[in-house]
Amino acid sequence: MRRSLIHYWRINLAVIFGAAIATAVLTGALLVGDSVRGSLRQLTLERLGQIDEALVTNLFFRQELAGNLAAAPRFKENFSSAVPVIMLLGSAVHPTTQARASNINLLGIDQQFSSLFNSDSPQMWQEFIAKSAEPGFPAIALNEALQKELGAKIGDHVLVFVQQQTEIPRASLLGRRETSDLVKTIRCKLTHIIPNHGIGRFGLRPHQTQPLNAYVSLANLQRALAQQQRVNALFVSRRNAASASTSSADGVLQNILQENLQLEDLGIRLRQQENFVAIESAEIILSPTLVNAVQTASAELQAPVQPILTYLANTIECKGRLLPYSTIAAITAPVAKAFGEFKLIGGSPVTELAEDEILLNQWASQDLGTQLGDTVKVTYYTVGAREQLETKSFSFRVAGMTAITGFGADSSITPEFPGIHAANDMDEWDPPFPVNLNLIRPQDEAYWDQYRATPKAFIALPTGQKLWNSRFGNLTALRVANSGENFQALLQKKLLEKIKPEQLGFVFQPVKQQGLAAAAGATDFGMLFIGFSWFLIVSAALLVGMLFRLGVEQRAKEIGILLAVGFSARAVRRRLLQEGGVLVGIGGLLGLIGAIGYAALLMFGLRTWWVDAVGAPSLFLHVNATSLIIGYIAAIAVTMFAIVWTLRQLGKIPAPALLHGVTTRERLTRSRLSQRVALVALVLAAIMMALAIFSNETAAVGWFFGTGTFLLIALLALFSFWLRQRRQYDSGLNRIASMAIRYGARRPGRSLLCVALVGCACFVIVAVAANRREPAENEFAKNSGTGGFALAAKSDIPLHYDLNTKRGREELGFAETDTTLLNAARFFSLRLLPGDDASCLNLYAPQQPRVLGVPADLVQRGGFQFQKIGTVAFKDNPWRLLEHEIAPDVIPAFGDYNSVQWILHLGLGKDLVRRNGLGQEIKLRFVGLLASSIFQSEVLISEANFLKHFPAASGYAYFLIETPPLQNEIVAQTLEQNLRDYGFDAVSTAALLKNFQAVENTYLSVFQTLGGLGLLLGTLGLGIILIRNVIERRGELALLRALGFRRATLMQMLLLENSFLILAGILIGSVAALVAVAPHLASRGAQVPWLSLGVTLPAVLLVGLTASGISVLTATRIALLPALKAE
Amino acid sequence: MAFCFDAKFENAGRHGINNIILLNMQIANSISLKLTQVAKHFETETRRVEVLRDVSFAMTGGEALTIMGPSGSGKSTLLHLIGTLDQPSSGTIEINQQTPFALSEPELARFRNQMIGFIFQDHHLLPQFSVLENVLVPTWAFKNNHQDAPKRAHELLERVGLSHRLEHRPAELSGGERQRVAIARALINRPSLLLCDEPTGDLDQKTAESVAALLLELHRAEQNILIVVTHSLELAGRFNRRLELRDGTCVEA
Repeated sequence: MRRSLIHYWRINLAVIFGAAIATAVLTGALLVGDSVRGSLRQLTLERLGQIDEALVTNLFFRQELAGNLAAAPRFKENFSSAVPVIMLLGSAVHPTTQARASNINLLGIDQQFSSLFNSDSPQMWQEFIAKSAEPGFPAIALNEALQKELGAKIGDHVLVFVQQQTEIPRASLLGRRETSDLVKTIRCKLTHIIPNHGIGRFGLRPHQTQPLNAYVSLANLQRALAQQQRVNALFVSRRNAASASTSSADGVLQNILQENLQLEDLGIRLRQQENFVAIESAEIILSPTLVNAVQTASAELQAPVQPILTYLANTIECKGRLLPYSTIAAITAPVAKAFGEFKLIGGSPVTELAEDEILLNQWASQDLGTQLGDTVKVTYYTVGAREQLETKSFSFRVAGMTAITGFGADSSITPEFPGIHAANDMDEWDPPFPVNLNLIRPQDEAYWDQYRATPKAFIALPTGQKLWNSRFGNLTALRVANSGENFQALLQKKLLEKIKPEQLGFVFQPVKQQGLAAAAGATDFGMLFIGFSWFLIVSAALLVGMLFRLGVEQRAKEIGILLAVGFSARAVRRRLLQEGGVLVGIGGLLGLIGAIGYAALLMFGLRTWWVDAVGAPSLFLHVNATSLIIGYIAAIAVTMFAIVWTLRQLGKIPAPALLHGVTTRERLTRSRLSQRVALVALVLAAIMMALAIFSNETAAVGWFFGTGTFLLIALLALFSFWLRQRRQYDSGLNRIASMAIRYGARRPGRSLLCVALVGCACFVIVAVAANRREPAENEFAKNSGTGGFALAAKSDIPLHYDLNTKRGREELGFAETDTTLLNAARFFSLRLLPGDDASCLNLYAPQQPRVLGVPADLVQRGGFQFQKIGTVAFKDNPWRLLEHEIAPDVIPAFGDYNSVQWILHLGLGKDLVRRNGLGQEIKLRFVGLLASSIFQSEVLISEANFLKHFPAASGYAYFLIETPPLQNEIVAQTLEQNLRDYGFDAVSTAALLKNFQAVENTYLSVFQTLGGLGLLLGTLGLGIILIRNVIERRGELALLRALGFRRATLMQMLLLENSFLILAGILIGSVAALVAVAPHLASRGAQVPWLSLGVTLPAVLLVGLTASGISVLTATRIALLPALKAE
Repeated sequence: MAFCFDAKFENAGRHGINNIILLNMQIANSISLKLTQVAKHFETETRRVEVLRDVSFAMTGGEALTIMGPSGSGKSTLLHLIGTLDQPSSGTIEINQQTPFALSEPELARFRNQMIGFIFQDHHLLPQFSVLENVLVPTWAFKNNHQDAPKRAHELLERVGLSHRLEHRPAELSGGERQRVAIARALINRPSLLLCDEPTGDLDQKTAESVAALLLELHRAEQNILIVVTHSLELAGRFNRRLELRDGTCVEA
């Protein structure tokens, strides 16, 4: 074997080269996958440092909790540190230049935080913390990315805007929603700039883009936010770094948290009264979780419970008299004695109230002059669906007059309403809702002075809960009667046992484990690049097969002799196979080196030319031995398959023929087969074309592609048929052309292979190129990916006012001069639950995708285009599917087809499982998939479902804006200027779509580039076929020369034959591809890169002709006599 | 340089065979072959192999010559030199008073196309072409090469007894039939020289005789110069002139 390998070294070297290319491409593609995963993993480890678990809550809790956890023995066993941090989302502005950056992370940190990262300069952080203690504006450190965005220099001032912290839900009646209450502005002085790596890259969200981070000392931020000694995040690092990869589901940390949490951390206050314990919440309204816990604990302690819902009535009217701003308590009656005697005037205890009954206290009754049975009209505010105040009223029948004693005189029934409770006089009230202080009379002030917020009326609890229900809960206080000694401590213990912290959002997330899992990527880049490189791989395998065959053909006589002298065909085949194995084995090993180079080149491409596809230049080569082995084995398998195929073909040729150097068999029956294949393919293409014409636009795309594919097959088969019919010298043609065609027809199978090779490649290249999209500028059709909206906007701090209304705009600080402009625009506000970017812009696999709550007005408006919808029931407006009820824990959802299919790896009817705001597992079921829309980063559910499952989220942070033509820029500018403090960012939907399409287009470019490389390799294969043709024919060519044909004529003939085959391939492939993408070409925004195609396709022809030229030149230079003799 | 004989033959098809022979005899007077001290040697890595030495002879139209000699005596080499497929190391070869090796490659190709017809032991038919097309192949080498070529091809094929096989492929013919096609092809351009290298070497005796008879009959009709290289004494016996090659030198027997 060694001798054979050495003797035929030239062709063997070529086989090694082919195998090396196949291995390099295949393994290189796998290495790209490794590199992306490795880079993401590295980024995860870099951005998280030693942080393994993170607790981030909506509520601020004691900073001391970190110390409590760290002191727990079980914590010490498993974890090394717990670091308290304040972590807020906001925006920053350079006050001088007005340069703005939104979506920044503001971090309140201490020295401990920097120790979580292997900081290059721990001294710098010490210095920073020390500088932060100096008087003056707080020191701020920015990472390079944010510093560049703001263009800030050391010593400059930086304004940071974050949401003002409040315990009272802003969407409740008592929530404050004015800009001044909502936005906290902190003026800082830039003292340090942090490099973009290590601590400068910190971020909890898995995304490859560089986060914009600002760091302030914890103490300073606490002071600025009025949250002394309180934080909203805890970062924990494990003792054994390796254990970070194990799940934290063992619950150790969560158990330790539960053991150390205090009710105060959860915003729950217990107040010991004489005979009972009052349970109140900092949020004013008790959450259903807390209510359940209290009721269960009380039942276990056998202690009676008194639920109370206190509300503020704007007026109580009767007989033309009006009582302003009174509290009304909704209670269950009779009231247990432990809570204080609750009697009617006359001494009888209050009994159960009917739905429409009201009890007025003595003062109110006298003031209004009511009698039993009188009708009393209570007017009050409620918070509407869009968080706007609505005035409502309800008429009650007076059922009695209560004495202002005992329970009836207990002012603590009313929670401490901010802006009201602390006021000395009623005219000092500063509630979050409008009050008409002119209505307040001296007697009202007198009542306030004497009884403070003691309720003036009582109604049945069910009635109160019906009228004043909110998504945050429907009780303001619970009172539990004392049932033993030290009852408060007992109740507290019970409550802490009953309340699952995760139900209130206190849950440690294994961020590192999740990050590393997400680093596996939404897309397997290894497989993606194998897909991109498939034509390259197939071409390389074909090349190996062809080169090997060429080698074998050179040895046809040797094989014939071996067979003649008694070797079995199997033994000969085995021998050749072994030789092939050695060649591809060596080639494969060389290919592994090439693979590293190929992968490095592709990674370089992803960092530079194709950076749009990955959005980050921080991807580097990672070589994994497993991939090298898999790639090597796979490439060997592919190339050996090609060799086995070649040998199988050769095995069909009888020994005598081989002895005469014959290595191919003429098969004349194929002509009929071609005819049949062409016919069947044409019929199928016609059927698909008909289906395409009569189906909807989305389905038509698929049918057209099918039409194109079958047309390609049909055209190739027709070409084959036509070629096989070229048996007559066509005197009508140029004599050389006619001879060239006849030569092409001599080995129709081989010629067809050439045409198919070029045709398929051109089909792929043209089809892929034609699929490029660019959003059509200034064209926003309602049923397009933009939904007819000109702008999409996000705000870091949610807005609570409607931009469509004059009042809303006034509250948000818009000037009168903006009215005309904004009146012409129409705003749709969506709820936003922050989460992972589910689009192709995120390389990480999203763990908890971002969710949008779609308001009813948008559902009603409809728009956008659907790729798939679950049912035809709402065909006229599929958005109504979002409001369709499926099951209590199953929520109908929409997603963008591309994101759902390729990033979330789900589909229509599939469920995305995640936890809601109450800690329960819910399923978001995809009932509709949008086609190439602007919603590629989010999952959409109805606003009603959003509020039901994520009640804590308040305000609107995502906006879709319709603007009059050509006004989108000025509208965006006006909004951004006025809502700067909210971190409001408006972008054109076309630009948004363009970003997504840039990824798609970049992938298409990668595919096209690698496809082009494959095509070039294929063309090289084509060159080999041509060389084979010429070598086989050298005797004939010599004869033709002997018969007087000039060398130039023969060259002309061969070149004509070859270019005819290449051109036929290009033509067939391109025509079929253009039919396949016909609907796309006809659609808006289709952008066929004619220029690049205009370069690629002629390049193919040129390379093919060059290869052919070389072979022809070589062949026609062969000495005439030896060629004749060899024949 | 015009080597086109078309005008002289344009009405040949209208005359009977005797008239053609008469006409050809007139033309034959202008046909000549003259070899003067032709030598051919090949260089190997170690030595120089003298294949032909001092070969001289002359022929005119209508003459036929057989070249014999043992294997390796240089018979085929001499034939290839005469056929301008190879160049002599020294000496001159004149065909119709022309020295072909002074011509450029395209001129030489045209000269060969018009002046020389080859018949090889292995017929060298092109497998993708039919019998008729194979005969016509030499006429495709140049533009406007014999307008009457198809007609002549039919006539030639009729004369070689293959008029019923016009559309057949070489693979569908017997050895003798293939050689007849090769003969017809060699004659299509009415060459001055008809060179045959072991034309009956691969054929059985009966077929060989028939092919030989056909060859000579056509030679007589065409009045060209016929040179046949052969080992066959029977074939050689049919010729008036015989050249024997021994150790590179020739002796006219």
